[in-house]
Amino acid sequence: MRTSTDAQSRDSPEQWVGRLVAQLRNHALWDSLLIFSPPLLVAIYLAVYLYRGAWIAPITFLLLSGAVIGVGLLAVVVRTRPLIPSVRSAARLVDEKTKAKDRFLTLATIDVGLWPAALVGRLRREAATLLERIDFRREFPYRIKRSFYWSFLVSLIAAALLHLSMPLMGSSRRQAPAYEKLSELAEKMAQRPPLSALAHDLRTLAMKLEQPNVADQEKQTLIHKTLEQVEKQQKKEEEKESRALLGEASSTLQGLEQQSARSQQKDAEKGGGGAQSNPSQEGQGEGKQSQGGGDSKGELNAERSKDMQQGQGARGDPKEQGKENQQSQRDGKDNQPDPSNKSDKDTGKELTGKTPGGSQEKLGRSRSEEIPQGAPPAERFYQPGEQGKEGVKGARYVTVQLPEELAADSKGEGAISKPSKETRAYPKAPVSNAPLPAYVPDAPTEKQQLPLEYRGIIR
Amino acid sequence: MEPEKFQQVFKRLEAEVRKVIVGHDDVIRQVLIAFFAGGHVLLEGVPGLGKTLLVKSLSHVLGVSFKRIQFTPDLMPSDIVGTEVLTEANGRREFQFKKGPIFAHVVLADEINRATPKTQSAVLEAMEEKQVTVFGESHTLASPFIVLATQNPIELEGTYPLPEAQLDRFFFKLMVAPPSPVELREILKRTTGTETGDAGKVLPDDGGKVINQMQQLLRQVLIAPPIEDYVVRIVHATQPNLSNSNGSTSPVKQYLRFGSSPRGAQAVILGAKGNALADGRIHVSYEDVARVIYPALRHRIILNFQAEAENVNTDEILAEVVKQVPRS
Repeated sequence: MRTSTDAQSRDSPEQWVGRLVAQLRNHALWDSLLIFSPPLLVAIYLAVYLYRGAWIAPITFLLLSGAVIGVGLLAVVVRTRPLIPSVRSAARLVDEKTKAKDRFLTLATIDVGLWPAALVGRLRREAATLLERIDFRREFPYRIKRSFYWSFLVSLIAAALLHLSMPLMGSSRRQAPAYEKLSELAEKMAQRPPLSALAHDLRTLAMKLEQPNVADQEKQTLIHKTLEQVEKQQKKEEEKESRALLGEASSTLQGLEQQSARSQQKDAEKGGGGAQSNPSQEGQGEGKQSQGGGDSKGELNAERSKDMQQGQGARGDPKEQGKENQQSQRDGKDNQPDPSNKSDKDTGKELTGKTPGGSQEKLGRSRSEEIPQGAPPAERFYQPGEQGKEGVKGARYVTVQLPEELAADSKGEGAISKPSKETRAYPKAPVSNAPLPAYVPDAPTEKQQLPLEYRGIIR
Repeated sequence: MEPEKFQQVFKRLEAEVRKVIVGHDDVIRQVLIAFFAGGHVLLEGVPGLGKTLLVKSLSHVLGVSFKRIQFTPDLMPSDIVGTEVLTEANGRREFQFKKGPIFAHVVLADEINRATPKTQSAVLEAMEEKQVTVFGESHTLASPFIVLATQNPIELEGTYPLPEAQLDRFFFKLMVAPPSPVELREILKRTTGTETGDAGKVLPDDGGKVINQMQQLLRQVLIAPPIEDYVVRIVHATQPNLSNSNGSTSPVKQYLRFGSSPRGAQAVILGAKGNALADGRIHVSYEDVARVIYPALRHRIILNFQAEAENVNTDEILAEVVKQVPRS
């Protein structure tokens, strides 16, 4: 305080006003910095979040951060400039504080050379005397403006909202960036000779992932295989940067694997329940269920082998079934359970590709009951709806749950007899899993609504 | 001259005039400021308010010569400026210039609006040029020279209101208001009793030199450019025909025919300087300007018919202008 007073007494009033201008400029700068800092920090937080969540590439992160900081600085400058007081306004401020009746304004603004030196000197002395009344820091302290608190509050709310909404947004992320990232990683790895083989595998995986016609199971297998290779290489690798690259690849692959597993599980759930009327849909649903059902290929294969041993077949497209049958006849070893599971990968692939009704086999229905043995080759050329040996080609099936009484009757179990049995009328409509023709030429175009009383018995 | 001495003389002059004039402190101060600024003053007020006494007292305390001219419709210019008369001396006859009352330091032009425009213009030439021309010969007036004119706002029959161009020559127009009851009691006490106040001389008989020094000092008073800018903005804001003056609904556009001339701005600045010196300061403040805006500009802005019909006076319009023009 003493030093400040001494310094101000040494200064001429004009210098004093100049110092005040500098101080007020600093105040204005602090005000602007304080106002814009919270939103700037939120923006940087967002950028870091996006970067760490692999939403944006490192270069994008750097550019984004640079842009955010640049815009922030620009905003600070734009806001500060009009707030910087002029010499006039600073002098008027001092006049108000010291009740100097515009002495400082006069001294700060007149051209000293144009006026009598004696009068200017006298005015300067008068102003200096008035200056002793005030303390620079006490009269012009820095106070945090209310706008800062508002900015802080709003930024805090925005940050909280972003923090909460980011995971939700993350769940709706598209898969594309993952295999793009794999390609990028592959390119990076290709520049390092020890990782070139792995780079090739990653590139292949990325290409496979990009292709929509590649089966999900195959993708998953490939991901798993590549992941194992990456992890092996990671253990071997000693170089720091390579390890970082491998770590990144590993995390990406793990993410992909989990994502793939989740999507398969969802599909399986979607295709599993309800009335299944379309054989192709049925097949797909079953296939996906089987893919999602087992996490490991060994388990999947074991189940498959077990089912084959039990002679259970899947219900589905006869054509597919025929293929499967041929395949099973060709590969006789597939009929035998393989406890060691050593050739799981190859067989698993084929199984997933060609036998979509894997989990349907678990239902306990005999494949030999429904699937005709050795369909004549010409039947493949039947048009949908034509009656073949195996039934109507492309037939649609309706799964109907029979009422208990009827079911008992049809099985010849007369143990259950109710008083109302004779009096009740039962529909003569097909009540079994009889194949329906896909196309009946003379059938009426309009559809009859299902009577309400039947809805309860059809599930 | 030192500013302190200026203030000292000024205060003494005020005090001495106040011994004779009761009230009208502001008028006394403004008249003195106009005097030291080298301007002339138009005093307006009903008869009997002490206008003439004020001027007489002022000339007495200043120690300078004083003449009074009672303006009447038959007053001729030569009655004011003087004329050449044929004189005979040592057997020779020659024309000799006989100076009129205008050659005094302080001239009271009483009821100036009663004289014809021709006579008025003779005075106004003297006011502006500080010289008179008679028979082609110019005669310089005394220095310091001040014309204190009075006019009566009533009894306007048979008068010749001063044209705007002539009004503009007056530095200040001061309104002499009727005294308050307290002031009136004091007036009665001083004028109806045995004790009568008598103003003493403040300056010696050769006071003209001191007055000139004071006038020079007044012009040296410092004024900040922002304050000059403020005066310019004020004067500019009185112009009704300028596109950048305040909106069309402003009193300036509504009630004014003409705004102030540059002489108005000069009068404001010089008046503010005189005010600052009178207060013992050597620089002008915004308050000094505010105190002289009305006397310096009220007779320089010309009202239109609507203003006269609505009985709007110039002070109201100036108040509005001052309110609208920011100081910085």
